[in-house]
Amino acid sequence: MGTRVLGIVALLAVVAASVNALFLVPADVYQGDAQRIMYVHVPSAWLGYLSFGVTALAGIGYLWKRDLRLDAIAVSGAEIGVMFTAFAIWGGMMWGKPVWGVFWQWEDPRLTTTALLLALYLGYLLFRRLTDDPHRRAARAAVVGIVAAVDIPIVHFSVEWWRGLHQGPTFGSPDKLLHPAAPVLFVIALVGMVVAFTLAWVWLMIRRYGLARIEWQIEEHGRLGRISAARRAARTAVAPADGAPEGA
Amino acid sequence: MTDVGFIIAGYGVILGGTALYVGLLLRRLAAARRVSLQIRHEAESAAPAAPDRQA
Repeated sequence: MGTRVLGIVALLAVVAASVNALFLVPADVYQGDAQRIMYVHVPSAWLGYLSFGVTALAGIGYLWKRDLRLDAIAVSGAEIGVMFTAFAIWGGMMWGKPVWGVFWQWEDPRLTTTALLLALYLGYLLFRRLTDDPHRRAARAAVVGIVAAVDIPIVHFSVEWWRGLHQGPTFGSPDKLLHPAAPVLFVIALVGMVVAFTLAWVWLMIRRYGLARIEWQIEEHGRLGRISAARRAARTAVAPADGAPEGA
Repeated sequence: MTDVGFIIAGYGVILGGTALYVGLLLRRLAAARRVSLQIRHEAESAAPAAPDRQA
């Protein structure tokens, strides 16, 4: 019930924030209407970071507690994070072409490290398919998820550490976001979309976690079924030999 | 392509993609719940049969 209400609230918030960003907020003086893409690009990038951060923390938690529920949280974060990181890249490309003149530039550290982050967590999801044993899979995936998370601060600070096409961070530099010259309508539109997307993310995480738990139970049932079938087969194979006369 | 074209492409893929993922997620969840329920029913129907076999 609570999750359903959250889903409805998140949907309404995303619709309201999108209408505001697309039709109510004025266009940027320098970038024109293309700047409106920032209202979905920035929240997507934020949710990519958040999701992969959750995956890494859940991975650490799993290695510590050996609780498969933490692995379910980790895989949920990775799957949703891959989606939002892909959206952040797509939004950036759609904004980059009219503003920068190019969709993509491999020399840019922010773009390249973000593409690497996406590849790392896609690899994480593929890596999970290598073994059926839930604990072995969770432990290996936790290590991959933690190592891959090293790229998150590199992506974030790449715009400060190296020179490239991408501008400085929007969040994490209050002098920019809360600058007196920043039109308050732009700030409200961006923060509103971040909040709406984050609500949607919480709903997605709850649902994806629920799916991971059920899938794990089904998998466990199948595994136990295969084990008992193998035992039955071994017993029936041994039984005639036991019952057979020794001289025969 | 005009700015409006890029905006439609940007919002279309991000919001449409999220909606598509939500749809697929709910479908996967419903399918998994069906299988889980089926397993539970099988386990419940197998459980009372056990004492009969012993008897």
